[in-house]
Amino acid sequence: MRITLKVNGGTYTREVEGHRTLLRFLREDLGFTGTKEGCGAGECGACTVIMDGKTVNSCMVLALEADGANVETIEGEASAGKLSVIQEAFDRHHAVQCGYCTGGMIMSVRDLLHRNPKPSVEEIKEGIEGNFCRCTGYQQIIEAVLDASGQLGEGPGQVREGRLEHA
Amino acid sequence: MKGVPEALRNLRGETAYIDDLPEPRDLLHAAVQLSEGARGKILSIDPSRALALDPAVRVVTAHDVPGENQIGSAVPDEPLLPEGEWEYWGQPLVLCLAPTRQLAREAARLVTIVSETLRPVLDPREAAGQDAFVMPSRTQSMGNPGAAFAAAAFTAEGRVESGGQEHLYLETQGAYAERRDGDRVFVISSTQGTTIVQRAIARVLGLPQSGVEVEARRLGGGFGGKEDQATPWACLAALGAWVSGKPVKLYLDRATDMRATGKRHPYSTDFRIAADKDGRITAFEADYYQNSGSSCDLSPAIMSRTLFHAAGAYRIPNLRVTGRMCRTNLPSFTAFRGFGAPQGYFVIEAALDAISNRMGFDPVELRRRNLLSEGDVTHYGMPLKEVRAIEAFDRVLEKTGWKALRADIEAFNASHPLEKRGAAIIPNCFGVSFTKLPMNRGGALVHVHADGSVLVSTGAVEMGQQVSRKIARIAAKSLGVPLELIRVERTSSLTVANTVPTAASTGCDINGAAARVACLEIRDRLLAHAATLRASGPGLLSLEEGRLLEGSADTSMTWKQLVTSADESRVDLSAHGYWSTPGLFYDMKTERGSPFAYHVYGAALVEVRLDCLCGRVKVERATIVHDAGTSIDPVVDLCQVEGAFAQGLGWALLEELRFGADGRPMSDNLSTYKVPDVHFLPARLDIEFLSETGSPASVLNSKAIGEPPLIYGIAGYFALLEAIRAARGDRIESWDLPLVPEKVLGLLAGTGRVLGQKDLQ
Ligand code: FES
Ligand code: FES
Repeated sequence: MRITLKVNGGTYTREVEGHRTLLRFLREDLGFTGTKEGCGAGECGACTVIMDGKTVNSCMVLALEADGANVETIEGEASAGKLSVIQEAFDRHHAVQCGYCTGGMIMSVRDLLHRNPKPSVEEIKEGIEGNFCRCTGYQQIIEAVLDASGQLGEGPGQVREGRLEHA
Repeated sequence: MKGVPEALRNLRGETAYIDDLPEPRDLLHAAVQLSEGARGKILSIDPSRALALDPAVRVVTAHDVPGENQIGSAVPDEPLLPEGEWEYWGQPLVLCLAPTRQLAREAARLVTIVSETLRPVLDPREAAGQDAFVMPSRTQSMGNPGAAFAAAAFTAEGRVESGGQEHLYLETQGAYAERRDGDRVFVISSTQGTTIVQRAIARVLGLPQSGVEVEARRLGGGFGGKEDQATPWACLAALGAWVSGKPVKLYLDRATDMRATGKRHPYSTDFRIAADKDGRITAFEADYYQNSGSSCDLSPAIMSRTLFHAAGAYRIPNLRVTGRMCRTNLPSFTAFRGFGAPQGYFVIEAALDAISNRMGFDPVELRRRNLLSEGDVTHYGMPLKEVRAIEAFDRVLEKTGWKALRADIEAFNASHPLEKRGAAIIPNCFGVSFTKLPMNRGGALVHVHADGSVLVSTGAVEMGQQVSRKIARIAAKSLGVPLELIRVERTSSLTVANTVPTAASTGCDINGAAARVACLEIRDRLLAHAATLRASGPGLLSLEEGRLLEGSADTSMTWKQLVTSADESRVDLSAHGYWSTPGLFYDMKTERGSPFAYHVYGAALVEVRLDCLCGRVKVERATIVHDAGTSIDPVVDLCQVEGAFAQGLGWALLEELRFGADGRPMSDNLSTYKVPDVHFLPARLDIEFLSETGSPASVLNSKAIGEPPLIYGIAGYFALLEAIRAARGDRIESWDLPLVPEKVLGLLAGTGRVLGQKDLQ
């Protein structure tokens, strides 16, 4: 079947088989390999993309269902080579270790901040609860989101009380 | 993070893990069929249904192995593909190749294997009863435990169970292989050790190691799971490429990965402990039954670390500990962050818990009273230097206001019948070095290019622990140049040979030290050259941040000018660095020696809140005081403490690896195996590093960070146990980790009966 969709602003028309997932389609047919497969079963969030303004686990969506949709992936997060506010905060707070969860995580954060520009810690947790990270213990991710949403006081490097000062 | 482009590429989704690399047109995907049944015998393999799928399908079996069908490194007990019997549920039996991943998986499913099932052994004690061991048992002892028990004022004994733990690295196991020039192979493997993979492929294909090029790019997590257990997948991909002549990629889906690969070893242990009337531990004995799984793998080295850490952070004058490595029909249990130490720690902490109950002594005070201090000698005969156990413990008491906190918890518990709080403090003393002595070496290759840019390659594999970032810092500091000039290359057998896996927390210690050796050699050549240019003594010259200094005065010469000039004067700007950790020795016969370069100390308090009606547990806070030496990169170390603690807490309270009574793996995805999510971790996590003192025998006086903080998770277990005791109004004893809500409810229900491994069988 032939589908047409937008990914990170570009329009793509491709033939796809009915059973092909959006994840496989993005990775293998379009080469957007920043979206990862962690479980293939809707459990880990590594494959999170934004489809028509909502986050989805792309391993649980058929490519066919994305016909006519507007899809955003981690590759579209930086613009003209410049990191987004979220990416910069992730960098500053060292919220990336192995990096395998990062693409999906940032998509969820982007969606969260879009809906709620100043989320509380609890709301941040709710926003990323579908994204599993084995490496970080989530602390730095939460702080990066607080920072990205301008809630860590003046400028970068501010951290919550009792924490090591970040370089 | 500036100057380390890898991290930025990661943020943009540009990092190419193996499965992200562009695929060659003639690529064949590989897939395996796994055994169904915990033990069985292959009677026949019929590939016809798979072959009928597509003319391009290929079925590869043990008979296609050109070299030795064996990948067991310590003991030859791991055929790459079994010819007769298989030993666990989920063992790969045949390999299928096809042009698409889906077709390969379909083909693997369609191969008909006629087999006979055999009775498995799943329980380590049952295996021990049948003398089924992967290695002979091992005992360490000191003093006279028998006499100490006879004379003791108090004794206690008990049984401790700790469960397995799935690594759940987010990137599953995988490899890519090409046959090149007919007689050699090129392999990219998601491995923690390029040489391990290289050696195994050479063996399986019957090639010299020089004919096997292995590369590791950034891994999507490892945690020990890709130390030895990346090897079969790399070998299978290489075998596929060898027999087909086409490039082959083998990537496991999550369920296959979780079924087929080893995890942290479950242990079942009997202990005995004695104390005098003042609460000083006088003797300890333990018999560890390690469930080693179906093959030897790294089990003896892991048991070795258990034995070395049997006494935890405590001084125990009389001790006898015996480790039995029991062969069972479960996946071959393997390295997992901590490598046997957490299992040993849990036992000694359970023993202290038991004796404090027996004495009616405060567990925190009992622990503190028995901490190691300067000059103590371990049960394996190693005198300890710069011991910081008490300092760390006291700092935790101080930071948390322990006395007031305890009173607060008691008051809370007295007024809340349906909710209870509990807290515990656990000390840490973690030995750093590979317990297998010859492995304590690192290698590096450093090229300074004529434009001043620097390329550093080492044996260390980057898997998210930021070892490349640390090594870049070491190189910059050693050469005296800005960090931006350093690039750390992927790990490859072409640049550094005879490597050891990036494991045992030593990745930075040994490879960073090797990089430093190479950098200092180049720096010295450059300074000698500068001395001839400036008619000055090389001893007067130094490099700092890319400037040449004479004494403390800046010369006008920059790094780049110096390098260009040296290059034109035919000064060699490349060097290979080698590091072998000094001062290590160990006598296996007497079980005495100095197996560690140094120890890492620390302590942690964990506090939990228990909902007594539904058994729900909230970890409220953790306070960790940790000894990182002189940190090379405090932010990286902080993140390592957080990540390791999360995994330790997961192991203690949440992650339950289950097998059916027939050995069937029941935990094969995130829906059947619970791991810490963002809600699980404490709302208040306070991590403090001890101030830098002393000079541990490690690169730039830093200390290893990867594994030691995992131990702090154990405090979560004892904190929860205290909350359960508060609810029950007694001092119930149960040391069966993980303490998941089902078990909590069992304990709260007053049955005293805990569902454990055994109930599942
Ligand atoms: S890969 Fe889609 S949720 Fe895990
Ligand atoms: S950084 Fe490794 S899984 Fe999140």
